[in-house]
Amino acid sequence: MHVVRDVLDKKLLDHEDESMGRIDGLVMQIGKSSQPRITHIAVGGATLWARVHPTLGRIARRMAGKWGPKRREKVRIPWSRVRTVGRDVTLDVEAKHAGAIDWEIWIARHIVERIPGGGHEEPDDGD
Amino acid sequence: MKKILQISLGIVTAVGGFLEIGSVVTAVQAGASFNYQLLWAVLLGTICLIFLVEMSGRLAAVSKHTIVEATRERFGFPFFFIVMIGMTLVAFLVLVAELGGIGLSLQILTGIGFPWWAIPVSFLVWLLMWKGTFGLIENGASLLGLVTLSFVVAAVRLHPDWGSAAHGLLPTFPGARKASYWFVAVSILGASISPSLMYFYSSGAIEDEWDESYIPINRLTATLGMSLGGFLSMAVLVVAALVFHPRGIDVQKFEQASLLMTTALPKWGFTLFALSMLFACFGAALEISLAIAYFFAQGFGWNWSEDLAPSRDARFCLTYTIIILLGAVPLLFGVDPVKVTVMSMALTSATLPLAIVPFIFLMNDPIYLGKHRNGWLSNSVVLIIILLSFILAVISIPLELIGG
Repeated sequence: MHVVRDVLDKKLLDHEDESMGRIDGLVMQIGKSSQPRITHIAVGGATLWARVHPTLGRIARRMAGKWGPKRREKVRIPWSRVRTVGRDVTLDVEAKHAGAIDWEIWIARHIVERIPGGGHEEPDDGD
Repeated sequence: MKKILQISLGIVTAVGGFLEIGSVVTAVQAGASFNYQLLWAVLLGTICLIFLVEMSGRLAAVSKHTIVEATRERFGFPFFFIVMIGMTLVAFLVLVAELGGIGLSLQILTGIGFPWWAIPVSFLVWLLMWKGTFGLIENGASLLGLVTLSFVVAAVRLHPDWGSAAHGLLPTFPGARKASYWFVAVSILGASISPSLMYFYSSGAIEDEWDESYIPINRLTATLGMSLGGFLSMAVLVVAALVFHPRGIDVQKFEQASLLMTTALPKWGFTLFALSMLFACFGAALEISLAIAYFFAQGFGWNWSEDLAPSRDARFCLTYTIIILLGAVPLLFGVDPVKVTVMSMALTSATLPLAIVPFIFLMNDPIYLGKHRNGWLSNSVVLIIILLSFILAVISIPLELIGG
């Protein structure tokens, strides 16, 4: 498997095939004696924009802490939760609990549902 | 039968994305200034588009991924980001032009100036997207768009000289006004080969749940839909050549263009022109706003579908809501939609390579297409289109300054 070609930027699906963003970055562990290995998948604007330019990454991180769901730490999903890698990457986690769709839920609740005809996001989200 | 009805995706893509204010304005200018001489540019644009649209549909049907998704996945985010800037800028200008086109059509029908229509029109476009399904937009816009067939009726009633029209299908070099000739030719190509149209079509194939069994239907839809669009553009050009060219009228304003059909159809010509533009621009406004929202949602991996309740794909819906709101602003200030149209077409040409170059890689990728990869014919055509797109990109801006 080629990490950059086959994994990076692929769409992430949760255990119910709900889309939960893309693989915006990968966290690797490089030991002195062991082979480098991928430990986590990183999802979110801070990781993503840092790939264009480090400054953009810092701005994205600052904004993420101040606005919307106000998440300070980056979203990281352990590589062990990966179920399959194909055209998309499937995980055995639930999108809502992984933190990857915090913005989707926040915008749904604070903006979209307040506009008539916006519908309702399911109530049983447990957070 | 259900599969045959998919042809409406081709018609809506063609009428909304092909025959819209941009194509009509350029076709009218071409006919008025250069008689039938620029028909070849419409033909060339149509052929390129048939191939590109077919590929967009095939990629979606086989891989269940759109062009946008595959571009991000294959080329990575930094490259995708550059495409995103170009695409968003151009598509936004096109949206302003289309909303303005609806406003101008209503202005000539009612006498109330187009800035007054900016808010109601944008609201209606937004409402249809907020409440409607993809099927409603697709079928509704296709049906209403058929009014544009009146351009063909007008062309036939004026008894054009078919021989010299056929002659115009072959490229010729202009005698005088060279810069203006090439500028209009580039604009015609820019108005036809628009990336957002391909993005819309491949997203539509996913919305309509195409799979590999739709490959023949896709070929038919792309060919018939884009041919219809090209045919209608040619009809507009022919009518303009017969009505405006002999009188030496150089069309610069929408009001002038609105007299296009009054010679052929004295009683209904004016109304039919206004209604045709109204429906075509309306379809185009829906299509381009959706294309922008699809682009962002697919690029970032958000939920997206016109068929979901807005709260289920909140970021997707918020994107088109913001875009449509912003699109109304320049019109409120009275910015001339025709000027925006001309500018957007030159910019489309300038950014074309960004959208077209990824095609050659994606359409030959076994991971996405397996045995349905491009054959030598499609690959040769894409290479020619890439070459053409680079030529257009280089000459469009200088030509706009000299010839526009």
